[in-house]
Amino acid sequence: MSSLTVIDGLQSEIFVPVTPPPVWTPVTKPLSEMKVAIATAAGVHHKKDKRFNLSGDFTFRRVTDDMPSDELMVSHGGYDNSDVNKDINCMFPIDPLHQLAKDGVIGSVSDIHIGFMGGGGNQEKFKNETGPEIARILKEHEVDAVILTAG
Amino acid sequence: MIIAALPPVVKQTGTPRAVAPLVPMGANAGAPHDFEMQYNIVKSALEQLEILDSPGKVVPLPFEYNAKV
Repeated sequence: MSSLTVIDGLQSEIFVPVTPPPVWTPVTKPLSEMKVAIATAAGVHHKKDKRFNLSGDFTFRRVTDDMPSDELMVSHGGYDNSDVNKDINCMFPIDPLHQLAKDGVIGSVSDIHIGFMGGGGNQEKFKNETGPEIARILKEHEVDAVILTAG
Repeated sequence: MIIAALPPVVKQTGTPRAVAPLVPMGANAGAPHDFEMQYNIVKSALEQLEILDSPGKVVPLPFEYNAKV
């Protein structure tokens, strides 16, 4: 019986996207002076805000820092929502972030955060419109660092 | 800085800075209502901003949460 189970050069028939080169932004100030925001692909938004289209949605929602965490919710069809439905901080750790600011670990918390729905949708729109627009908003609010929850 | 539950996915997308606690997808920042774990995951993630000096490494974090499914 042959023990050959490996074939040189065999490639998956499944399309695997090419890994893009990482974008590296140098850190220029200590963490204790940084303004930090959250941007999450977990589909987080205010309960009164428009839900995401679960079959694919490249739009995003602004989550302002004055929204209490128990007024936030998730609409996302791509992962098990049971933990995040119990506690939004599982994917949107806003309460710990406020404590880190109080404790002086970070400089401050941004007055705006972003929720969008990852896991599919129009990738060209995400790459060329949604992503740059989110970055523009965060820069406009002088955010130094962003915690992202995704993947 | 990405807090990842699925390090291979994060690596493949070319993420410059990432940490990976031992958590299931959907609880990337820690177990529900475990404020201490969430606080320490976010703190450890942010501290890597001052430590990492090149892109592409996914830093494992020593926090573990097994969801009961």
